[in-house]
Amino acid sequence: MNALLRAKEVTKTYEKAQRPSLNKISFCVADGEFIGIMGASGSGKTTLLNVLSTIDTPTSGEIWINGINLKQLDNASAADFRKDHLGFIFQEYFLLDSLTIRENISVPLTLQKLPPKKIETMVQNLAKRFDISSQLDKYPSELSGGQRQRASAARAIVKQPSILFADEPTGALDSSSATELLHALQEANQELHTTILMVTHDAYAASFAGRILIFKDGNIIREIFRNNASRRDFYESIAAEVAKLDTERQV
Amino acid sequence: MNTTISMAAKNLRKSFSFYVLYLLSVSLVITLHFAFTSFSMNQVMLEKISSDGRVESMCSMISIFLMAFVVFFMTYSNRFFLKRRTKELGIYALLGYRKTAILSLLTFENVLICCGALCTGVLLGAIMHKGIVAGITALLRLSIDTAQIPFFEVNAIRKTVCFILLVIVVLSISNGRFLFQSSLMSLVRFEKKAEKNMSFHFVPSVIGLVMTVLGYVLALDIFRGRKSLWLSVGFYQIGLLTAMLILLGTIFFISSFLPYVMKNSKKNKRAFYTETRIITTPNFVYHIRSNARTLIMLTLLSAATLTVASVMALTLYYPIASVSRMAPSELEFRVANENQINAVKRLVNQYAPGAAVTFIQTDIYKITSSSASLPMEYSAGSAKGDSQNEKILRDIGFECISYTQYHSLLLAQKKDTIADQIPALNDTECILVKYQPNADGSDESGSVYSLNTDTVSIPLTVRGTTLHNPISFANSVGTLIVSDNVYEQIRASAAPKTSILSINGKALEDNEDLFADLSALLENSPYLQGNSHRLHVIFSLNSSTFLLIGFLVVLFFIATGSILYFNNISALTDTKADYEILHKMGYTNKAIRKIIKKQVFTFFCIPFTFGFIDCIFATIVYKTGLMQNLLGNSLALYVPTIIAIALTASIYLFYYWLTVHSCCKIISKL
Repeated sequence: MNALLRAKEVTKTYEKAQRPSLNKISFCVADGEFIGIMGASGSGKTTLLNVLSTIDTPTSGEIWINGINLKQLDNASAADFRKDHLGFIFQEYFLLDSLTIRENISVPLTLQKLPPKKIETMVQNLAKRFDISSQLDKYPSELSGGQRQRASAARAIVKQPSILFADEPTGALDSSSATELLHALQEANQELHTTILMVTHDAYAASFAGRILIFKDGNIIREIFRNNASRRDFYESIAAEVAKLDTERQV
Repeated sequence: MNTTISMAAKNLRKSFSFYVLYLLSVSLVITLHFAFTSFSMNQVMLEKISSDGRVESMCSMISIFLMAFVVFFMTYSNRFFLKRRTKELGIYALLGYRKTAILSLLTFENVLICCGALCTGVLLGAIMHKGIVAGITALLRLSIDTAQIPFFEVNAIRKTVCFILLVIVVLSISNGRFLFQSSLMSLVRFEKKAEKNMSFHFVPSVIGLVMTVLGYVLALDIFRGRKSLWLSVGFYQIGLLTAMLILLGTIFFISSFLPYVMKNSKKNKRAFYTETRIITTPNFVYHIRSNARTLIMLTLLSAATLTVASVMALTLYYPIASVSRMAPSELEFRVANENQINAVKRLVNQYAPGAAVTFIQTDIYKITSSSASLPMEYSAGSAKGDSQNEKILRDIGFECISYTQYHSLLLAQKKDTIADQIPALNDTECILVKYQPNADGSDESGSVYSLNTDTVSIPLTVRGTTLHNPISFANSVGTLIVSDNVYEQIRASAAPKTSILSINGKALEDNEDLFADLSALLENSPYLQGNSHRLHVIFSLNSSTFLLIGFLVVLFFIATGSILYFNNISALTDTKADYEILHKMGYTNKAIRKIIKKQVFTFFCIPFTFGFIDCIFATIVYKTGLMQNLLGNSLALYVPTIIAIALTASIYLFYYWLTVHSCCKIISKL
């Protein structure tokens, strides 16, 4: 598989911080991969997501996505880049309250200046896949947390981004809503070949990914591959690794 | 207690940029309040400009209005800031602060803000008061010993301080009610509430549109003259009905019709699926429930501001413009005996020795007519209730002057262009000087009037009518300009004659002493008229009224602008997360700014447009129904109104720019 995302010696040091939040991180994400990022709070996960998604700039190092060097993007071209290549899902859903679900999902396609008919067909199709067809004309406040997060995922995937960044997408969901969402993401990954980079604390959520990068103090300290293991086995190996890390931390 | 004071001071210091406009608005409001109070307590001025207590009673009425308004404005702004700080207050409560302690903190903050605003307001207000006094003194040429007027009026300071204390008490009660009615949970977990999904129905939407349009049509009905409902039913009844229709129509229009149209505009997919509109249209529809009340209030406030401003401009300008008809010559009087002429000439010569002054004596002959249809000017002022001064009722008839006299008078009055345009008259023609244009727009041109002298009847055809009377209405109404030959024929008859002496010359302008001496010389004759004197009287009578109304207009401006500002900033702060999402989705800063501009523009545009239309119709009704139409319907008359509207528009534009600038600053950190 081709490397869709390539990070080379990426460092991010915030002003007045004693140590870098990201310390010479290097890794690749292949096209169509579902990758999980784990680590304790302050390990650098969110900083990584911010620099990968052009919302923040690294202090040093280079990042390529789809062959584009993010360093060379100015504000306007970074916005265009996000519009054309990236999708986002957040823990707090971040749907636009004043727009119906249909309008929320339509926004990224409108930004790409697609014809209205095409926009409506694409929204309708994806809503079916995420089981929110009957909610399309409702406002976010009228939906449950799970439905909102699925709408948010549909909005991120509808434009078929090169890569989807999910920041703790199950953090605010109950277990059944979380499972529904993770299945929907897995389906999108397998059937639509959407590349997904998901930050999570939860070993269960991480077990839906194909590979896990574990962060500590701005460094990647472990890499766990699912290979052909069942999701349950993969979950256990992740849980064991996390437990081990927790034990090391206690010592 | 010390902790509370230092916390309050620290909070204000930290959020200075946030509070700066509030502080500025409160300072401005207090400046106006203090200047107004100082003016209303300035006995030296009041003695000069108000002999009948009119200004004093107007001052006390406006004072009540002003205080009610300041309390409303400050309570509104205070609520706005409180809402923004709910979470912070919740955290204080969580840390163990009692609600009374939090209330003290808020009260101290208000005391600090009010103290700052009071100091600024009293200083600026005192300067403003001095400016007003200087302005009125210069305008009315009053002889005032300004040393008698203190820079700081102690009573005004006392009154302002008491009033500010009252405001602080009202604010504390309002804050207390909010704090004690909110649970700890609702304070800590304070979030913007989801709007209730509203459905907009066709019927109330159409009612909104129909009522508004009907109101405006009813306003235009005033142009139908005698057939108009305003005359047939009654001015005040129809006025009230029109106002009610427009008021209710505006409410339905904003709360139902506009969102209905916007919601339906989404059906135009091609227009809707665009970068900006997909955000702004749903936003407008979604927030209309909570915004409608504010928009309606702002619309009514704007309509009031614009109407008061334009009607004030018209009321100020119209009498001034009318002076050229009421008293066309610099000085003019009815000659009772020939000795008066020499005495007047001597007096004028004393005041303007050697200056170019013209004395034109015009003999006016009163002639009756037996024609079936005669103009209203023929009998105007001849009956009780028909004349402005019933002590000087006139006899019916045309008052004839010659073409040459008319021409000379116009030239002496520096109306050269008009003099050049008068058509030449043959012996069968005349020009009728109209008191005011006919209400139905008709004209007497072509009418034939038979003038009855003691010997013959002279039929004259009206060649044209004019509004340029050469002699004041006090001395001649129903003036008919006839050819010199016809005039000689009339002169030879035994028609009653009145002699008028018109005196013109630049050197005589603005000379109140001359007018006073002349008046004494002519034994206070009601027939003595003077152009500059009349202007002086108008300024003396009206300047204080306009000044007081001016205070209100400025207050309205500050209120409307500040409420619009606070509302937009508040709405943007509440939805800041939405802009972060848009930014992450790929909206450029430019596109986000465009969305903000459009949203702010809508919020400014609705009140202004409605206020503007209401103002136009209100001004038309006022001008047509309540003002004498001495000057015809020249567009030039509306120039002051246009200037007032343009000024209002520029103040709105300034506030719009300030709001957009502040909103963009808030999201620039994305």
